[in-house]
Amino acid sequence: MRIAPDYSKEFERLAEAYEKSGGDTSNLLDKRIASIIISGDKVIGLNNVDGVEIEAGKQEFGVWAKIRILKDKKIQMPIHLCTGFLGKEGEQRVNFEFIVEDGASVNFISHCSFPWSTKLTHKMTAIVRIGKNATMTYADAHFHSEEGGVTVISDTHAVVEENGKYKNSFELTKTRVGKLVVKMDVDLKDGAIADLESKVRGRADDDISIKESLGLNGKEAHGIAKSRIVATEKTRARIVNEAFGNAPYSKGHIECTEVTKGPDVDVATLPVLKVTNDLSELTHEASIGRINSRQLDTLMAKGMTEEEATEFIIKGMLS
Amino acid sequence: MLELRDIYLELGGKPILKKLNMKFEEGKRYTILGNNGTGKSTIANVIMGVEGYKPQSGRIYLDGQDITDLNISQRAQLGITIAFQENVRFEGIKIYDYLTLGGKIKKSLDDVKKALKIVGLNEDYTKRYVDAALSGGERKRVELASVYMLDPKYVILDEPDSGIDMMSIDTINTFINHLRERNVTVITITHREEIAIDCDYSYLICSGIVLKAGKPEEIAEYYKSMCDACDHPNEIQLIKENDAI
Repeated sequence: MRIAPDYSKEFERLAEAYEKSGGDTSNLLDKRIASIIISGDKVIGLNNVDGVEIEAGKQEFGVWAKIRILKDKKIQMPIHLCTGFLGKEGEQRVNFEFIVEDGASVNFISHCSFPWSTKLTHKMTAIVRIGKNATMTYADAHFHSEEGGVTVISDTHAVVEENGKYKNSFELTKTRVGKLVVKMDVDLKDGAIADLESKVRGRADDDISIKESLGLNGKEAHGIAKSRIVATEKTRARIVNEAFGNAPYSKGHIECTEVTKGPDVDVATLPVLKVTNDLSELTHEASIGRINSRQLDTLMAKGMTEEEATEFIIKGMLS
Repeated sequence: MLELRDIYLELGGKPILKKLNMKFEEGKRYTILGNNGTGKSTIANVIMGVEGYKPQSGRIYLDGQDITDLNISQRAQLGITIAFQENVRFEGIKIYDYLTLGGKIKKSLDDVKKALKIVGLNEDYTKRYVDAALSGGERKRVELASVYMLDPKYVILDEPDSGIDMMSIDTINTFINHLRERNVTVITITHREEIAIDCDYSYLICSGIVLKAGKPEEIAEYYKSMCDACDHPNEIQLIKENDAI
């Protein structure tokens, strides 16, 4: 990829933020790797490879991008999405549309970096269409500022057609969260599979709200939605995992683990299971509260302090 | 030497350990034998200093130092450790990291491999996770390997044979022999007399007291012949006998 000369300085700063969030900048410059780089309301880099068509443009307060994976194309190298905001204050809107055509397969690695923002609202909407027998994985890692002034509002609607597969992971564990509102719903057709996972660590007065919904609308559709939340200090967390069994032999499982540490946390989880087809099968699992005392005892019996053991367990949980 | 003196513990208002006295000398192998519900695992928790198991009276000494008020972590740092009967899972933690406690234990990969080999696991396990994907037997072996990595002075094995197959009992014995080569005191808690035989000294526990103590064969024989149908009819008398130990 070639970065426009006007944006070379901006890219340098964005690359710094990208590296902080765990990204490898060399991937953004590799011509063999499809990628898009968004800074504020500008697309400062875009690279297409065989089988991938990325179109993007400017819109009010942000950027739109349409990413299409052509029929039966197996994209070997993950597509990299780098979204950043370099200013201290503002608003960024990003609208994505992902189309994975029948039989295609693709992996996305997305990094959203706002390390210097003290008052930013980042709004992301995504429409995901995964065709018949197609596969898409999307790993999204966020890196926010330590001031806690970042608000992220993310809304994803995905449709997975017959025998398609969709795996989505969201991670915000390395920095303050600020305020996070994640909504995701998946419409699964016959034989389609979805695997949704969120991992978030809240500190100070972070506010976390996640709602994941599995619509098991096709025969033998399978879905799993898992949330792992660590809430410390004054963190507030509200997690809703839903599964709707609307088709025969569909199976869904939702799971939420919320670990609390600190006297002022405020956390809640709500599992919602609804069956409208008697041949559907739904399960849920939830735990909320302090770290399992037997886990702590086991590690402390090896010489770890309670603090060390807690951190060790949390690190594993969010890894 | 690890010593329990006049340990009395109530849980939920019910006396569980009643003026218990025990001694564990360095480098020897002990068994604590008894039926289920007699207080064996409670003794393990008391020795280890697990939260909620601090005795109402009595003291615990390690090489003359009173450790009764130390917590579990502090006791572990003095060289006491335990492999609990039920081994919990740890999501997202690789066996290598578990065995080195995320780098807290400064040992090499070869040391980790050796510890795994002792318990019958190959080096591929270093990359696996200590999670629900491990079988009960595998998890137990990982726990034993972890204990070995700690270089402890005193090891409590609480029902080490629970949930594993007969072949794995040989693994446990091999593991214990490796500990003994390092002059580690091993305290095995069991309800099976055949396991209790292979040691230097046995304690037979009944209703929260030491009913008998002495040569493993004699204790095992007594246990086998007397304890199967025992409903603790001699409880009051036994407390008096225990006072004399």
